[in-house]
Amino acid sequence: MAAPLPDALRPDIAGTGADAGAGAGGLGRPGARRRGRARALEIWVPAGVLILIAAACFLWPLVYPVPPPVGGSILNAGLPPFSPGHILGTDPVGNDILSRLLYGGRVSFEVGVATALIGLVVGGLLGIVAGYQGGVVDAIVMRVLDVLIAFPSLVLALVIAEALGPSELHTIWAISFFSVPAFGRIARAATLRLREQTFMLAARLSGTGGRRMLLRHVVPNILPQLTTFALLGVGIAIILEGALSYLGLGIPPPGPSWGNMIALGAQTLTASPELVLIPSICLFVTVLCLNLLGDALRARWGVR
Amino acid sequence: MAARGAGPAVSGRPGAPGPALPAEPEPRGSVARSVLGSPSLRLIGRRLLAAIPVLWGVTFLTFVVMNLLPGDAAQELLGINATPAEVKQLSLKLHLNEPFWVRYGNWLGGAVHGHLGNSLTSGDPVTTVLGQRLPVTFELVLYAFLISVVFAVPVALLAASKPRGIADRLSMVISMAGLSTAPYVLALVLILVFAVHLPILPAIGYVSPSQSIAGNIRSLTLPAISIGFGLFCFYARLLRADITAQMQAEDYVVTARAKGLQPRQVLVRHALRNSLFGLITVVGLNVGALIGTTVIIEQIFSLPGIGQELLQSINDRDLPVVEACVLIFAVVVVLANLLTDLLYAVLDPRIRYGRAIA
Repeated sequence: MAAPLPDALRPDIAGTGADAGAGAGGLGRPGARRRGRARALEIWVPAGVLILIAAACFLWPLVYPVPPPVGGSILNAGLPPFSPGHILGTDPVGNDILSRLLYGGRVSFEVGVATALIGLVVGGLLGIVAGYQGGVVDAIVMRVLDVLIAFPSLVLALVIAEALGPSELHTIWAISFFSVPAFGRIARAATLRLREQTFMLAARLSGTGGRRMLLRHVVPNILPQLTTFALLGVGIAIILEGALSYLGLGIPPPGPSWGNMIALGAQTLTASPELVLIPSICLFVTVLCLNLLGDALRARWGVR
Repeated sequence: MAARGAGPAVSGRPGAPGPALPAEPEPRGSVARSVLGSPSLRLIGRRLLAAIPVLWGVTFLTFVVMNLLPGDAAQELLGINATPAEVKQLSLKLHLNEPFWVRYGNWLGGAVHGHLGNSLTSGDPVTTVLGQRLPVTFELVLYAFLISVVFAVPVALLAASKPRGIADRLSMVISMAGLSTAPYVLALVLILVFAVHLPILPAIGYVSPSQSIAGNIRSLTLPAISIGFGLFCFYARLLRADITAQMQAEDYVVTARAKGLQPRQVLVRHALRNSLFGLITVVGLNVGALIGTTVIIEQIFSLPGIGQELLQSINDRDLPVVEACVLIFAVVVVLANLLTDLLYAVLDPRIRYGRAIA
């Protein structure tokens, strides 16, 4: 796994400066600069959109006042989009949809990022230790992760949500049961591949201790792979939150999240499809950008 | 993953000298022994043994988490107006008052002998309940798989036949979009389009094949597309990436081209064959994730499958039914993984698990 290298240092991209395209035939590579720019765009366009969406969700309500997402008046119920004061209209109980969308986006982002982080830290740690130690530790950790994988995670999530009562924090815990084994497996596989590499042997021969080996050699090398997976993980978690909401076990209504907006909207799907479509589009764009960013970073860092 | 030493080991490059074959002829009568001692049977045996602790862990975990839930079946059956005395009486009758370990021991003892117990709510044997539900889910999953594979293979071939061409880019954009779509969103959009605006397919309900085959297929089409589209996108991308990589890098592709095969023949006969093989692994490993999706989709389309039964039984605190559903899911996941490994070994003679044959 090659360490990430800035574009300027990459021999295949750098040095094909402004005159490369017009240069004498065969010397410069005219496509290279364009490819470099396309690659940068592949990373920055989805990243930019994500930043915009996140900024809108977290900052807009602070900067520009929007009506509260809950407790709307029934007198304003069911206003169509582009109504005065309610750009996206209101839902059947009179809450402003734009406001619910922004506050709901906060919840969705928080759930997604938190579960991916928990998976990254806990699952990553388990996987690295299991892969590096091998033997009994590996066998035990992998059996436990196997159980979690063979167990229909949705059931676990359902039961956790129902036992602890629906709330944002409990949703995060429930979805973490999906992310931990997934990260664990990936971290273990990557560590196993790494263990065979010469530089690991060299480090061990020069007397590097176990903890230092993990922190200095293993973690930095598998971090790109885990990071790209974490981006996909955020998207999956956001989708799962919606699935739990659909079953009435996610974020408890009336508090908004994109998932439960879709679930609530599905009850009036025929009469007012925009209640489903608006949060669905936000969900789709966010997950799409996360996937695109994950793919682009994977290509950039040369992760399998 | 597999136990130590059971991981795949690719042995022998084409040029390398193979392991020496046993020269002496085997005496008659050792056929049974050699069949029983065959590596693939041993592999199956070892994998099945390794599956036991996993399955046990799953049932135990289910028991624990179900016990953490507030309320019990007696309370759920009698409703909130029941007096504590009535609840207590019913608990006694359903053996809910016994300690956790005793109940788990009883259940496990029964399960090992194939008795999954009776549903606490309806009193019917769990096997009967599941016998009605399982075919629906099975049919749905199979349909979804069929849709995804039938479309994924030609699309991947088309895309890979001209990398970076229009078909390639278009299919990649569509599949990326499909991968980013939540199945429940797709389900709602499909209902909106094909059941509400163009009423050609039913939005909810299930028609059993004994009533009408066509009705059965119609009733499962939208749910199967909701599940299958995501899979299709996933498989198509995977297959396309794999075929493209093979066409660029593999020696046998060069050989096939050099001996004058048409590009299409190289693509289909050689590259696709090898790539399908990677697809099988992914399909096998994917089964677990698919089950979660099925639960939601069954809920949206009101299909009387096992997912719906599971949700209902969790609500009713109907432990035997929950245990049985979870156990079935776990067995399917474990078996799918095992089958994947075996197919892998059958399809690629270079892969040997554990010790090599000789």
